[in-house]
Amino acid sequence: MMWYSDRRFWGIVAFTLFLNIAFIPFSSWVLNAEYQYTLRIVTVGGALLGIVSGILGSFAVLRQQSLIGDTVAHAALPGVAIAFLIAGRALEWLLVGAAIAGWVGVWMLNAILRTTRIKQDAAMGVVLVSWFGFGVALLSYIQRRPDAGQAGIDKFIFGQAAAIVRQDVNLIAIVGAFIVLILLLFWKELKLITFDYEFAAVNGFRVRILDTLLATLIVIAIVLGLQLAGVILMVGLLIAPSVAARQWTNHLEQMTILSALFGAFAGTVGAVISALDVGLPTGPLIIVVAFGVVLLSITFAPSRGVIWASWQQRRDRRRFAAQNILQDVYRYGQSHHDFQKPVETAFLIGLRGRTAQAGLHQLEKQGFVKRLDDASWVLTHEGLQKAQNFEESQQLWETYHLYREALDLPDVQQEHHANIHDVLAPEFIQRLERLQKGDTNDQSA
Amino acid sequence: MIKALERFIIEVLLWVTTPDDINALWAQSPRNTAILIGALIATSGALLGTFLLLRRMALVTDAISHSVLLGIVVTFLLITLVLDREFDYSSPLLLIGSALAGVGTVFLTEWLFQSGLIKQDAALGLAFPFLFAIGVILISRYADNVHLDIDAVYVGEIGLASSNTNSHCLTNCEPITITPDDPRAITVRRCMNCAAENLYPRDPRAEFEEFCGNCGTYTPSEAVRAEAQGIPIYDDNEERPTFVYWPKSITIMGLIMLLNLSFVLLFYKELQLTAFDAALASTLGFRPNLLLYVLLFLVSITAVGAFDAVGAVLVVAFFIIPPAAAYLLTDRLYQMLLIAPIIGVFATSTGIDLARGQFLGVFSVNRLLEALDDIVGLGGYTEWNVSISASMVMMMSFCFIVAWIASPRYGLLATLIRRWYQHRQFAEQLLLGHLYNHQHMESMADECSINTLPMHLNWSQHQVERIIRNLRSRHWIEIRGEQVMLTDSGEQHLLLFRQQLMQK
Repeated sequence: MMWYSDRRFWGIVAFTLFLNIAFIPFSSWVLNAEYQYTLRIVTVGGALLGIVSGILGSFAVLRQQSLIGDTVAHAALPGVAIAFLIAGRALEWLLVGAAIAGWVGVWMLNAILRTTRIKQDAAMGVVLVSWFGFGVALLSYIQRRPDAGQAGIDKFIFGQAAAIVRQDVNLIAIVGAFIVLILLLFWKELKLITFDYEFAAVNGFRVRILDTLLATLIVIAIVLGLQLAGVILMVGLLIAPSVAARQWTNHLEQMTILSALFGAFAGTVGAVISALDVGLPTGPLIIVVAFGVVLLSITFAPSRGVIWASWQQRRDRRRFAAQNILQDVYRYGQSHHDFQKPVETAFLIGLRGRTAQAGLHQLEKQGFVKRLDDASWVLTHEGLQKAQNFEESQQLWETYHLYREALDLPDVQQEHHANIHDVLAPEFIQRLERLQKGDTNDQSA
Repeated sequence: MIKALERFIIEVLLWVTTPDDINALWAQSPRNTAILIGALIATSGALLGTFLLLRRMALVTDAISHSVLLGIVVTFLLITLVLDREFDYSSPLLLIGSALAGVGTVFLTEWLFQSGLIKQDAALGLAFPFLFAIGVILISRYADNVHLDIDAVYVGEIGLASSNTNSHCLTNCEPITITPDDPRAITVRRCMNCAAENLYPRDPRAEFEEFCGNCGTYTPSEAVRAEAQGIPIYDDNEERPTFVYWPKSITIMGLIMLLNLSFVLLFYKELQLTAFDAALASTLGFRPNLLLYVLLFLVSITAVGAFDAVGAVLVVAFFIIPPAAAYLLTDRLYQMLLIAPIIGVFATSTGIDLARGQFLGVFSVNRLLEALDDIVGLGGYTEWNVSISASMVMMMSFCFIVAWIASPRYGLLATLIRRWYQHRQFAEQLLLGHLYNHQHMESMADECSINTLPMHLNWSQHQVERIIRNLRSRHWIEIRGEQVMLTDSGEQHLLLFRQQLMQK
């Protein structure tokens, strides 16, 4: 099935889009948000930024390089400072400086990883904090200059959403479109290195260049977001929408689209809420909304989410309760060499917990156990037969798992509770049985 | 309690020195205080950072130091708004509250990771921006109440540590009460009807009231402060109280350092085991996770203690860079635990000079700026006077780069040299082997002539000549006419080498 012929996915997309669009009238009617010039600008900027970082973040998250954004974002600081020294306060040049410095930081990270035995986490830490320290020194040099004005570091860390103007949003839109275009151009290659790096390398793709390309795009996206959200919050914005989107789908294409939508949602809602009252900063609110989306996703997402998983677990538990109890009763009789010896309910509850009652009732209905008096049970003839078969199957499974490769048996992915006779061909089972007999012979000898 | 401890240290010090000397050493010398505190932070950080590095959790310090901000804000709001007490950076409540926030980040990360839906790195990258964002929102929301300077949060100012002191009075410590009949009381006249009738004191209509200007009870430190403002408290010939001023950060960081050191010494064996083989440690009945959380709790405490000195981000450097540099220099854990603090202390004590433009006493940044001013123009502002903590971090990076390049075993230079040596050795053995294979054969004249060797070995003429020169100087080959011959010792060497190779 192609990714775009998935009805459920388009349903989620439509729902997210609806929430996204419906939020604007909702906020103005219910929350009394006033869509003045600044708020419009900030909202559009936040949404665009969410889209770009959501798309890029999918790759970073899937490649388990989420924190590369953190490194890059901190490494950009000296670039900002030097650009300020040379070119003054022009935003484009600050962006260029930041991008170059972030890029050099990534290069240094790769150099450390290639030439030393320092692992990724420490290498990131070293690069991050070395460059940041250098940047702080340069900034404090600038601040003590008489003509410094206010090149405050807090603007870099937290962003300055209120100061954003139309040109900045245009810049985000243009550069963001450029990033998406490049991603589309190299889609196949990037997808390949994301899922099977070695395969890509062996097949002659220029993996190092592709790595650098992706890192560069991340640098540019983060630098774009500095003005609106600041360093650390850009890191969150890169990761959160993608993690949320990952819960809903197993397709890269679907994940990217959802991630962009979630990013846009977080950007819009965060920006609008921050405008409701004084002292609510935009960047942090965007992150809090994005984190909320993540929590909702890991709770409610179908087939992966927490609720779904616990529901499935309960269903499985009930399904296997009967089988487990039957086995318990059988083993009890086995250990007492008397299958007619009654088993007390309390004992079974002690073994299996609360599912024991339900299991016993099922078994009684199927006619595998008999109730002797209120609190004890005994196996029926059919029950004994069934339990013996199951026990045998279990032992065969164990042997199968231990000696599968040695006996050259096919690899089957099957739950233990299945009857092995339904899964493996008779000739394979014969091999297993032969081995089991040999085993017991060996042990007795 | 902390004050009692300080008092005890001061009493001990007074056996060997005078109060003035102690004051000159710390409170009046920002430089000494900054170096000492920097060294204490560096030691604390390096001891803990080593184990985090080995467990591949170095970036956790970054996350912790960010979410410590949330802990600080929440504790601050609790102290000032709920308990209605004055806020102090060195309050133990703050230490514990923020440390809990740090450990909370790790719990949140673990929880997200344990759900099985999120990878470790993404979980970390989600958890700390979120907690950080909440911290920032709280700061902005209560901006009127929170006197937290955001720049200081990020950078810290270690140079100011010497001015935040506890004063310890040593002599003449009785509080002084001045009553109106005290001979020291000074009488001041105040115009009574000036404000009401809009008169000036010189106006003849002004009426005056006599009152006592300096009456009241003064603690010794208040008395000294009042005197410094020109209000007479003591008689001229009366003895003033003597004080020792003790920077608060020294005590706090010293305690934290001792705590970390004793933790590492006490649990050295367990830490070593869990750092290298957590699975084995847990099979042997240790509790690696419990140990890890204690470690992270100490990391958080250290980060908070260092917070107002070096700031939230730069403190990460003290945890990561020195252990990383030490990791390049040695393979032994105890050596790492020695080298990392030494690097840290070296970087902090030289970093303070770098902040004023002196790099290890050999290079002046101001000169560089002057030169740059001539070339690109810096507006004539060539004085390099920057954040001390950032300079300390820069020195650490410098140490790391030196270790990276020059480490005897793992450095770039050592690797280059080793590669070059192996290259040469390989070429020599190839040539010797070629000669050996073709000696006493008919094709020898063709195969082993100086002129044909480049073709057969696919080397340049120049390379062949160089290697022949090397081998001749060791008398492994000789040249007869154009023919290159293996000598006896050369043959022996080759066979020995091959034998060794087989044994490997």
